[in-house]
Amino acid sequence: MTDRPTDHRSDTPVIHAAGLVKAFGDFHALDGLDLSVTRGEVHGFLGPNGAGKSTTIRILLGLLRATGGRVELFGEDPWREAARLHARLAYVAGDVALWPGLTGGQCLDILGSTHGAVDEKRRDELVERFDLDPTKRVRDYSKGNRQKVALVAALAAEAELLILDEPTSGLDPLMEQAFQECIRERRDAGATILLSSHIMAEVEALADRVSIIRRGQRVTTGTLAELRRHTRTHVHAVTDAPPSLDTLAGLEDVATERLDGRVDSRFTVAADDLDDVVGRLHAARIQTLTVTPPSLDALFLRTYGVTLDESEAAEPEAAR
Amino acid sequence: MSAEHRAGPGPSSYSGLGTMLRIVWRTRRRGILIWSLGLAATMAFTAAAVAGLYDTPAKIQSYADAVTAGNALKAINGHVEGINSLGGVIQDEFGFLASFLMPLLGISLVAGSTRREEESGRLEALLAGRISRRDPVVSALLVAAAAIAATSLLFALALIAVGVPVSGSVLYAVALGALALVFAGLAAVLAQLTLHSRGVYAGSLIVLALSYVLRGVGDVTETWWTWLSPLGWQEKTAPFAGQRWWVLLIPLVVVGLLSLVAVRLAARRDLGSALVALGPGPATARPGLRRTFGLAAWIHRPTMLGWLAGGVLLTTMLGALSRQLVDAIEGNPAMGEALGTTGQDPVLAVIAMTQLYLAVIATGYVVQAVGVLRGEEADGRLETRLAGTLSRGRWLAAHAGVVLLGLALVVGGSTLVFAGTAALSLGDGADTGQIIGSGLAYLPAELVLAGLALAVYGLRPRWFPIAWAGYAAVAFIAFLGPGLNFRSAVMDLAPTTHVGNPPVGSVAVVDLVTLSVLALLLGVVGFWAFRRRGVPQA
Repeated sequence: MTDRPTDHRSDTPVIHAAGLVKAFGDFHALDGLDLSVTRGEVHGFLGPNGAGKSTTIRILLGLLRATGGRVELFGEDPWREAARLHARLAYVAGDVALWPGLTGGQCLDILGSTHGAVDEKRRDELVERFDLDPTKRVRDYSKGNRQKVALVAALAAEAELLILDEPTSGLDPLMEQAFQECIRERRDAGATILLSSHIMAEVEALADRVSIIRRGQRVTTGTLAELRRHTRTHVHAVTDAPPSLDTLAGLEDVATERLDGRVDSRFTVAADDLDDVVGRLHAARIQTLTVTPPSLDALFLRTYGVTLDESEAAEPEAAR
Repeated sequence: MSAEHRAGPGPSSYSGLGTMLRIVWRTRRRGILIWSLGLAATMAFTAAAVAGLYDTPAKIQSYADAVTAGNALKAINGHVEGINSLGGVIQDEFGFLASFLMPLLGISLVAGSTRREEESGRLEALLAGRISRRDPVVSALLVAAAAIAATSLLFALALIAVGVPVSGSVLYAVALGALALVFAGLAAVLAQLTLHSRGVYAGSLIVLALSYVLRGVGDVTETWWTWLSPLGWQEKTAPFAGQRWWVLLIPLVVVGLLSLVAVRLAARRDLGSALVALGPGPATARPGLRRTFGLAAWIHRPTMLGWLAGGVLLTTMLGALSRQLVDAIEGNPAMGEALGTTGQDPVLAVIAMTQLYLAVIATGYVVQAVGVLRGEEADGRLETRLAGTLSRGRWLAAHAGVVLLGLALVVGGSTLVFAGTAALSLGDGADTGQIIGSGLAYLPAELVLAGLALAVYGLRPRWFPIAWAGYAAVAFIAFLGPGLNFRSAVMDLAPTTHVGNPPVGSVAVVDLVTLSVLALLLGVVGFWAFRRRGVPQA
């Protein structure tokens, strides 16, 4: 594996984990996790607190050693080759820890000194864009400002892969905007980005593909479009005549009422039936039509809602 | 139940202080128990050993004659009134340790539950609840006072148990407690003025060093200087002679004033603010800081400077007093016995004592310096560091290198100061070679402690108290062992014993090599384990 030429790597996934297990004593932080991130994509890594996102990232960085399963970073072992592989990536931790007695600028240089290469011009631009005062001491920074230091350092690095662990939890909306622009620029420049988050709007705005994990296992993965296909679109239509929806099997949550001689219909429909539904609504002469695609929020809640219900239903039985 | 309900949480019912007291006790109780029981055990052990060793009035009288010959030991252990009694001998033997441990007890109790909590942001969460701004410092002081009172009570019981008169035992124990309280009050004020708990320690220790010097000068010159020092107030209560109970009023008034100032400052200032703050700094890191070794050196600098200051203070004092110490030993051979160097050249005896004390300082430095690594990891900075191209091995090697360099500076700097001051005091530098040689001879023993700390850090950072326990054993054996004739099985527990007490005793190269190999093995275990374990482990 190590004798594979390193420049012939476009088909290797940047990150590949299969059946990953990490046990801390009896507690299984990761319990057979699969994750695959391909070159050039922004991959959203979603999950509630304690799902195992940070543990996965620490294994990818070679800080923790997996108890079982397989994990590859750039096709190599992240535990054994940690320092060498890190020349090709940059990392922003969820809770950025820096040296309180140093200034933000000094920390930027120190972080930069362990990156493969740093684009000094871009670094100065980023300092401007994120409105960072590099002469202020870290102990006087807010959480958001500490995060900005780590973000600027990571974005200024000439890295093939950015690993970002909830990078915007302390940023204000303006800075969040700047962050999203920067991520797109890096992606357009060819970088791969693993974005761990529980802010749906951020992932929705940035991610090409998403993996949702829960209790150390991947629940689902795919492009946003693929994930949406499994969820239902909300439709609200007002038509002149009653639409002939009764014969359509795929409708759910149907509520119809007559209003001033018009028909007000609300229902949800699977993505596959949408074309058929719109045709029938059109036949009934549409006055107003609102179609709401499933948000990632709904997706997330649905994924967790279902499994949560199942486990809740299962637990009392197991207790008996 | 209904009566309680009627009282209700009105504006007059004030439960914040009670809550805060419970929080401080809950978060600090382990440290408090270790400190109190450890100190009480040290006192009990000293008292029992003295009582066993000096079991007749004649032996006590010869001890008294020995240590009161000349002024030198007065400067170190203090001027003990009523030294020709069992209590007096115990006060003299415990004096040197007490003058540092009691103030440190007060400082650590308060610093840990005030500025450190504020620095970490935990205090912010509490103050958002029903806790008023002055509650934290008030409860820190109250809990410290309670812990100090409990320690004093144990002291008194230990003294009474070996047959020291009750009134003298109580007065001595209370005077030691009052000493700790003064420094607790000082730490409470400094916690309001500095931004960092490190600043609280630094400021308090500077005051402690000054107090020690003032008391030493006052005792030797028999002037009022002693009265300027908190250590002097403790001494002037004369528990085993005149019993001046009224002297206790001085520390109590000072504690009252310091507490009042601390509470006033806490009530007036903003959370997270300090009177002493730093302005903006450089926008870029100089090239040295960007290097692994350079950043490690920057991280370790305050620890190294602190212990170097302690070492220089000790060697300056003992070096400057070496003429007097030599004269005292020459005038009374029993004093050499008290120092554990019977029948030897007095000059060499003074060098041996000083270098042994310096070795205790140097081992303290290495243990604390390795503990800094644990702090880097617990605060999350190690993770930041290892996320780049820096490997674990190189990170640890850089830090280990800096700690070794720091050890060389602490030992080398202090030894050179000792050589200089001793040459001035003795009138010639003929012993410079002996001084430097015996300082270097202790390096392998100091490295064993560094190795132990590194091994524990590599294996399980949570076990780090083991390294501190090792240091406590070394300090205890070095300070009390020679005077109290510890059994050789106990003495052998400290690596410093195996150096052979240079330049009085003969140093066996085999022993130094064995110590070095042991240190190396422990260090290798540390590196090996650190490269294998997960990061971060708190």
